Amino acid sequence: MSDFLRSYLTVAIFGGVAVALVGVLLGLGSFLRPSRPTATKTMAYESGVDPVGDMWSQSNIRYYVFALMFVLFDVEAVFIFPWAMRLETYGYFGLVEMAIFIFILVLGLAYAWRKGMLKWV
Amino acid sequence: MDFSAALPVADVVAFNRPAIDWHAASPELILLGFGALLTLVDVIFLDRAKQYTAALAGIGLLVTMVPILTLANDMSETGPRVMFDGAYVIDEFSLIMKAIFILSGYVVILLSTNYIAEGDYWESEYYGLMLSAILGMVVMASSRDLISIFVAFELLSIPSYMLATWKKRSLESNEAGLKYYLMGVFASAIMLYGMSLLFGASGETILTKVNASLSSDPLTGESLSSSTPVLTLAVIFVIVGFAFKVSAAPFHNWAPDTYSGAPIPVTAFLAVASKIAGFVALVQLVFVGFYARADVFQPLMWILAAASMIIGNLIALRQTDIVRLMAYSGVAQAGFILAPLAVAGDVGDQALASIVSYLAIYAAMNLGAFAVILAAARKTGSTSIESMNGLFSYAPGLAVAMTIFMFALAGIPPLGGWFAKFQIFFAVVEQGGTWAIILGVLLAVNSVIALYYYASVARRIWADQAPDGDLTPIRIPPSLGAALVLTVVATLVFGFLPGAVSQFTDVGLIAGG
Repeated sequence: MSDFLRSYLTVAIFGGVAVALVGVLLGLGSFLRPSRPTATKTMAYESGVDPVGDMWSQSNIRYYVFALMFVLFDVEAVFIFPWAMRLETYGYFGLVEMAIFIFILVLGLAYAWRKGMLKWV
Repeated sequence: MDFSAALPVADVVAFNRPAIDWHAASPELILLGFGALLTLVDVIFLDRAKQYTAALAGIGLLVTMVPILTLANDMSETGPRVMFDGAYVIDEFSLIMKAIFILSGYVVILLSTNYIAEGDYWESEYYGLMLSAILGMVVMASSRDLISIFVAFELLSIPSYMLATWKKRSLESNEAGLKYYLMGVFASAIMLYGMSLLFGASGETILTKVNASLSSDPLTGESLSSSTPVLTLAVIFVIVGFAFKVSAAPFHNWAPDTYSGAPIPVTAFLAVASKIAGFVALVQLVFVGFYARADVFQPLMWILAAASMIIGNLIALRQTDIVRLMAYSGVAQAGFILAPLAVAGDVGDQALASIVSYLAIYAAMNLGAFAVILAAARKTGSTSIESMNGLFSYAPGLAVAMTIFMFALAGIPPLGGWFAKFQIFFAVVEQGGTWAIILGVLLAVNSVIALYYYASVARRIWADQAPDGDLTPIRIPPSLGAALVLTVVATLVFGFLPGAVSQFTDVGLIAGG
């Protein structure tokens, strides 16, 4: 077996232990605890509030635009934080690269803003 | 003030600035710049920018051709330019494919100009998305690394999904885009799974290194005479992912619905540029990444090629819509282009050269056919096959052009298609084995079947009466006329002077890596 594949052995052992641990704990729990279901107990859990309506409820399409904008800045953060940690090592090269990256992202925000995507009504 | 002492962890890995060959990267950078410029102009001027966006996108593509030509000019002195440890390679193959992508993108923009301006479409975004899809294709032509290939694939696919739904209020266009999107995402998932298996087995993403590791067993390190299950699965999954993109049977189901629902210029774009990008990825994977495992990819390509030719041609015989006919004929053409890959392990670069020639000629004649369909639909407003009836009686120029494209697609000398088909046939038969000869027979039989439906379109144009006896001529806007002239000239030149194509398409990938 090559070294490369042997290094995956840890992953396999870890996975096996994880599955076994969950199986043992859940199995032990269901073996020990009493089971007396009632209508209230089997109700879907919605943060302690009684569930309203069914699962196929509609939500406003505007949330989708905001979700997209969120992803825009989320991805930005993923790249900017590591870059900021090592700003000095990267020097002017890194600075210019990041300026280009931010420019393209800001272009997306400017586009959404100018086309009126950020207005709620 | 020195912060590095306060942050000892940050100093563990030194930063080596990657050497960037700016000249080699300039086509991509120019496209990116023009894409950003288009969006910027749209953001600043809103509706006032509309009339300039098509011209700006066209100029962007023409400017991108300049560094491609200078790179091609320098190629004899510098040889292939390699960046990022071999992940990004600019060689003759990548330059010729980049030129094909940019020129076919330019023709699509010529087709789009009036169509998009006259319909109820969003204009600025259309050209911006078109440029970013072309950028993805141009990147694809140089990617010799699993991750770059995947990024390029998504960069060209995601704008295409949106472009397919561009007729916003039409349910058919929405259906087209949704089907394309779902099948595309499905294909990406399969391909990614295959890539993860490849990486798991080899620990590499660079294609040349993947190829080196495919010839030995990942468990024992011994060299392999035949494949192991995990390698077979990995190679098949990656190839199947791209088989969706090139609409090879049995992964072609999305193509007819998407083609007929999408706006016609977008259909032309999907049928030509996007499909060629899929072939470019397949060719690079087969010739650079999987070449050691010919025992896996050759039978798979044989099945895909034979199934695509037979299924595509037989279903095309019964189509009543010209765009759906082109979609199924495109499936059959995909089978033709895949055929040399079934013998690629034996005949090597000859198979590659025949594919590249076919792609160049295919781009010209297919774009031309869509240009005529678009022009005819300006008058008839329909894409049913009857709308072609009697085209000669009121638009003789279009009729001659359509006849040229149909017979070129069928492969009748002296039009472009014959040379493409001949080279494919020659490369396949050259290998000489039983299976190769069977595939050669299938190629010949399918050329005859295809001739039937291509010729029946020509018969409608010349022999039948125009619907309702309406003989008003078609007004062809200048940009559409330019696209028609370009594609007709290219189809004729490729047919009469095949040397003009083969001189450029005689490229190699195997030695250069």
